[in-house]
Amino acid sequence: MMEQPPHRAADDVFDPVGIEWTSVSPALARVRRTILLSVLTVVAVALVATAVATGWFWAWILPAVPLIGAVWGWWTIGRQVAAWGYAERADDLLIRRGLMFRELVVVPYGRMQFVDVQAGPLERGFGVAQVQLHTASAGTDARIPGLNAAEAARLRDRLASRGQARLAGL
Amino acid sequence: MTEAALGARLADGQWHRMHPLTPVVRSWRVLIVVLVFVVQGWGDNIARGEGVPQLHRPDVAGRVLAGGGAIVVAVVAIGVGYIVLSWRTTRFRIADEALELHSGILFRQHRRARLDRVQAVDVVQPFIARLAGLARLTLEVAGGSDSNVTLSYLREEQALGLRNHLLAEAAGVHYEGTEAPEAPEHQAVEVPVGRLIGSLLLSGPAIGFVAGVLGLVVASAVIGDPGPILGVFPTVIGVAGLLWGRFNGGFGFRVATSPDGLRLRHGLLEQRTQTVPPGRVQAVRLRQGLLWRQADWWHVEVNIAGYSGGSDEANESGNTLLPVGSRYEAISVLALVLPDLGVPETENPWDVIGAGLTASGPGAGYLVAPRRSRWVDPIGWRRSGVRVTEHALLIRRGVLGRSLDVVPHARTQSLGVTQGPLQRRLDLASFALHSTQGPVSPVVAHLDVAVAARLLAEQAVRAEGARRTSGPERWMAAD
Repeated sequence: MMEQPPHRAADDVFDPVGIEWTSVSPALARVRRTILLSVLTVVAVALVATAVATGWFWAWILPAVPLIGAVWGWWTIGRQVAAWGYAERADDLLIRRGLMFRELVVVPYGRMQFVDVQAGPLERGFGVAQVQLHTASAGTDARIPGLNAAEAARLRDRLASRGQARLAGL
Repeated sequence: MTEAALGARLADGQWHRMHPLTPVVRSWRVLIVVLVFVVQGWGDNIARGEGVPQLHRPDVAGRVLAGGGAIVVAVVAIGVGYIVLSWRTTRFRIADEALELHSGILFRQHRRARLDRVQAVDVVQPFIARLAGLARLTLEVAGGSDSNVTLSYLREEQALGLRNHLLAEAAGVHYEGTEAPEAPEHQAVEVPVGRLIGSLLLSGPAIGFVAGVLGLVVASAVIGDPGPILGVFPTVIGVAGLLWGRFNGGFGFRVATSPDGLRLRHGLLEQRTQTVPPGRVQAVRLRQGLLWRQADWWHVEVNIAGYSGGSDEANESGNTLLPVGSRYEAISVLALVLPDLGVPETENPWDVIGAGLTASGPGAGYLVAPRRSRWVDPIGWRRSGVRVTEHALLIRRGVLGRSLDVVPHARTQSLGVTQGPLQRRLDLASFALHSTQGPVSPVVAHLDVAVAARLLAEQAVRAEGARRTSGPERWMAAD
């Protein structure tokens, strides 16, 4: 189910040499797939109802659209979740994400102002949470979704204590 | 005892109220509307030969009240009562190295700003407040758009005295006597009115405005119908308002240095005095529109934590360090904010900055976007580039409108690299520094992937080192 990210060259900016990436929990894929399937099911039911109501033969093609969407979404979500990763270095935290539009963020612990841990009802059901780091800049988009609850708590405490040790004002 | 000493005496740890005229100054617009309403009503009556309503006659008073007068009276009474009550509940004090403000009637608010976290102190005099000899003092601390403590209004001398005291406390200086000494100023740059007007006439809004109006006049003449001209009226007022705002804010702009930091004074009707202590500037941008090129004029703006830099006019002027100046003046102002860029001795800093302002290509140590990036940025790729010095990162961009961003290593918050699908095919990536909220958002677009990777790795180390050696928050503390 989980695809490995494709092999990358040694000088790849998104995969610096000597960094051990931790990937996020596969439960995140389950959360997102659940949302995808429930939305598409509603759409599909509505389309089937339309086909039955009109009784027109070609209307039965319409429900195929959400079906294709489900297959494609299922596959993409797996790859997207596999693309998320983070790495704790001595002085900073690295987060990377994205398939089409790739992004890598480096957040020094000393710049961290506060840490958020969030989990919606569905995420709680699957036992995952999102950890987000905030600096004084609104441009810092440093969130790690889909950490299992224990890892989220550990990361939160670890980041907080490291931030304390290296606090550097603004 | 002088007024300024009175200002410093406000910092005695006790709670103080604002000036009693505050309600009038804050609500003068409402008062004028009500006054106009009343005068107009009576004027109509007089015109109709009824004269001023004779309220002592019960039948007339009843008629006036029935005619909506009661509602107006009630609204005015409630409004005035609210404003007076809000003045009574608003108090401030300076204690334990913090400024505290207590306000609100139904929803109480107690705000406490630590003085060692001061990002800027502004003394602002709107036109009406100036007539009454009052001023507003704003203490900015870092923390988004609404992170300030505003004391409105105090007597002007008190506000200045209090500002001097707050800055002395924030700097870690202890002074003798009752009056905080005003830090001596040394004027660096002044913007002449003529140049300000010229710069506004040569700006995008003014040119677009004239071109648009001319176009519509021609269109109306051709179709023989004044419709298009009338339709554009709201836009005309909008643009005129924008230009007026810039003129009003930039009028008499003076930049001075003092031990308290940079001091900016500007404004025609609303006068502002901003003080930005050393090390509070997070990023600087020098920029030049296409039409300013002939005169070699530059605009300088900064990111300061606390100034939100939004579309709000007042905040916009807060982020402006120089509305328009010659290249020499712009670079001087940059040098006031960031005295040492850390350019090696073998090079001339002026050449490095000059190359950042106008040059293209890999001269003066700039890392540039490779030629293949023209597929994603056909015009701008020639100038897109970055120069790393010991203390700062210089990012240049723009062929038509040019700009140069300078970010000290010690002030980078976090770093990022992004790559879209097109960039991926071309082996390019964009490198971004995340600065605090403001007009400057430093991004180097479309660098070679290997260059971006090296920049990211090295910048993380440089920023860490610079942070460790950067100056103390209390810039004059004697430890």
